[in-house]
Amino acid sequence: MEEESASPKGSRDLPRGADSGPHVGSPIPPHRTLTLQALVHFFLVRPLLKLLFGVGVEGKENLAGLEQFILVANHNSHLDTLFLFQILPPHLVTTTHPVAALDYFSKNRVLFAVARFLFRPVWITRGDREGDSLEGMRERLRAGRSIILFPEGTRGEPGEMARFRKGIGRLAVEFPGVPIVPAYLAGAEKALPKSSSVPLPVWTRVVVGLPQRFRGTAGEITAALEGLVRELEALETGRRHRRLRRPSSIPTVAVLGIDGSGKSTLSRELARLLSTSGRVCLVSDVVEFFEGGEPSRVQPLVTEALRQVIGRRAKTARSLKSYKIPKLAELLLRDHVLEEMKRWYAPDLVVSDGCPLLNMTAWARLYRDEEPDDGLLASAMGILSGREKGSRGDRVFKEFPELMALERLPIPHLHCPEAVLFLDVDPAVSVERIGARGETMQVHETREKLARLRDGYRSVCRVLERDWRIPVRTLDGHRPMDEVTRAALRAFREMGVVEKSGQRKPNDDGVGTAGGGRPSLPGAIPEPPGTMPEPPGTMPEPPGTMPEPPGTTPEPPPDGEPAGGRKPHA
Amino acid sequence: MFSHPSEMVLLGFFLALSLLALARNRLPLPTPVSIYLPYLWTFFLTFTLGTLVSPRVGIWVLAILSFLALREYFTLVDLRIQDRWGVLAAYLAVPFLYYYIHSDWYGMFVISLPVYAFLVIPFAVALGGREAQGSVFSVGVVQLGLFLLVYCIGHVAYLSVYTVWAAAFLVGGVALCDLSAYLFRARDRTPLRSLLLQVLAPAPVVAGLGLALGPWSGVPWVHSVALGILIPALVTTGCFTIDHLEEDLGIERSRLRPGRGEILNSLKSFLYTAPVVFHYLRYFLEAF
Repeated sequence: MEEESASPKGSRDLPRGADSGPHVGSPIPPHRTLTLQALVHFFLVRPLLKLLFGVGVEGKENLAGLEQFILVANHNSHLDTLFLFQILPPHLVTTTHPVAALDYFSKNRVLFAVARFLFRPVWITRGDREGDSLEGMRERLRAGRSIILFPEGTRGEPGEMARFRKGIGRLAVEFPGVPIVPAYLAGAEKALPKSSSVPLPVWTRVVVGLPQRFRGTAGEITAALEGLVRELEALETGRRHRRLRRPSSIPTVAVLGIDGSGKSTLSRELARLLSTSGRVCLVSDVVEFFEGGEPSRVQPLVTEALRQVIGRRAKTARSLKSYKIPKLAELLLRDHVLEEMKRWYAPDLVVSDGCPLLNMTAWARLYRDEEPDDGLLASAMGILSGREKGSRGDRVFKEFPELMALERLPIPHLHCPEAVLFLDVDPAVSVERIGARGETMQVHETREKLARLRDGYRSVCRVLERDWRIPVRTLDGHRPMDEVTRAALRAFREMGVVEKSGQRKPNDDGVGTAGGGRPSLPGAIPEPPGTMPEPPGTMPEPPGTMPEPPGTTPEPPPDGEPAGGRKPHA
Repeated sequence: MFSHPSEMVLLGFFLALSLLALARNRLPLPTPVSIYLPYLWTFFLTFTLGTLVSPRVGIWVLAILSFLALREYFTLVDLRIQDRWGVLAAYLAVPFLYYYIHSDWYGMFVISLPVYAFLVIPFAVALGGREAQGSVFSVGVVQLGLFLLVYCIGHVAYLSVYTVWAAAFLVGGVALCDLSAYLFRARDRTPLRSLLLQVLAPAPVVAGLGLALGPWSGVPWVHSVALGILIPALVTTGCFTIDHLEEDLGIERSRLRPGRGEILNSLKSFLYTAPVVFHYLRYFLEAF
């Protein structure tokens, strides 16, 4: 069933049963519970659908007791209407009317006749003014009937939910007494997606949310409703299986900063926040994997265990000379761990506390009295990352003799992050913070050496931004951590590493979009604490305006999340 | 009505199991047990129909079970739109395999899936796809599901065509192993102790079941004892493997439901056991 699509088509050659008045609609059939239509549903359609598609329902009780409602769902397949009819209480089958595009169904007279017999739809003509297309729905609602509406307007790409159109918001404004029930259909996009004509048996599932009433403008109500359906989608598809993505297509963001700048804390907080809408891997002093805002188990990796041992060794070094080799080894292993995590865990995003490539380059400053020029740094970074090939006589090898050894070693090239956050802190403040931790100071954790390191990071960031066109944002590390976190999230949005809440990016490697429809990056950045606005268009429900029969509110599952969606807005 | 006392015993057991399965939601049964019961009941429905009507009727119950399990599997895995022809070929392979079981055509039964279906599926995937990237993954995913949920379950069906009681021994043995694993599960045990317990604890009971059913199943006592060790070992191996796959498929064992892992989880113990026990019995027992 399709509704409200923008493609302008006239209502020519209308089949019998579809008049073409100011609005296209068929006469409202008299209300009888036991009709041939209902019998066909109960004894033919429902058993057949059950056998082929299972049609599991969650939150069915949310429809029980309602005599009139507007059922709103995502639209991926021609089977969607059938699945929604499958979950209707028996007495509502004859009083519920889906909205259907007349110009689509009138192309095939058999299809039109079947749709008319099974559903008695509200026919609309695409291309009509919105007011006209809503007229048929208004008539049914005034007559006490229920309607099924797909506010996306047309079947979208499999597993992808398009933005809702405002027609549903207008209806909600005009009929404030009619509860709107959000539902999410999963599986239909696999059973009979757009562009397929043969349905395949696949388990489908309908998640029915709690009945809602809204106040506000049509736009606000539409947005709030879309949010509710997306929440149901997240509940249903949260832990779906998906293909492994190519490690190279998984973006990495690096958080740089001198010791004591708070980069480890910031990295962890960012990984946790971003994981509410995707799988995020944190490569820091320890490797963690975040999903749904919670850290989850990571299989032990041999490289990671080795890195931990060497990292501890580096931390206890007593001179810069004895610090150099273990730190270098730790950074090389860290880069390897990052690759391993991408390969085996296929996260949506990697947050790296530091970055081996950039750290190595910046740390060169620590061992030199004068600051290397940017060209030299760019060459060093190019060789380490494999972008450039150097020859023995090059200046860069004379300035950085270790680079020659590294190039000769049979190690893969170091990874360059897709975006960088530089947490800038005064070395004096850093030293103070490190002292306050009560830990043994590392050999380089003095004001003078940290100042050199800070210069090194600044130079690296400059090269990255200017020569390599990699987005870099500098954050003020003196501010409280929650402010820094907010600034970091804003920076992520500006840099386009992750997208604004609710907007998803198509999968960048072209695989794995069917079924789960997971975003290639975390699709929704959570607003930092204190800035999350209330969903627009939702107002407290006046007590007693919608009497809920006993048992209509589902019992919350053990984890406290209400079954079938969020509670009615109050 | 009954030509042999064993038929009466099987019918009686089946009726008792039916009552238990029907009343499972009203009885204070643990959730895993009440989820498991309908699938166990399906196997015994096959055997009862096989005994009282004809083995060739009973096997089609397992064909439906294979179809439902495959449907659940294809719901869980991430396939591309263009893999639909491969999925369709996999569904069509269900009657293809069970027809050979129905016909008691062992040669074709054994090669139907690993040779023909496994050649057709990549062809069907290639036929449906403009985009080559990811095709190897898709073919692997479809074939794994077909192998585990149709081919392996098909061995239980074929065993019931040979002798219902040998199949009942297999299913009963697996159920006892699952029960034992449920009863003896403990978190504080070391993996090795837990593994040994899962294999050794049910072994005497399974062997005892084999010995008790021996006169009807035709399995000699020495093989009953051997299978008493083999079945728990295979159940443990199978469960370990499928648990690993379930993790990847996003199946939450705390929230099992049809379409989201309930069928796969309930059948996992049979998947490794059925083909191995089938071929063991076929190799060692001339009666097959």
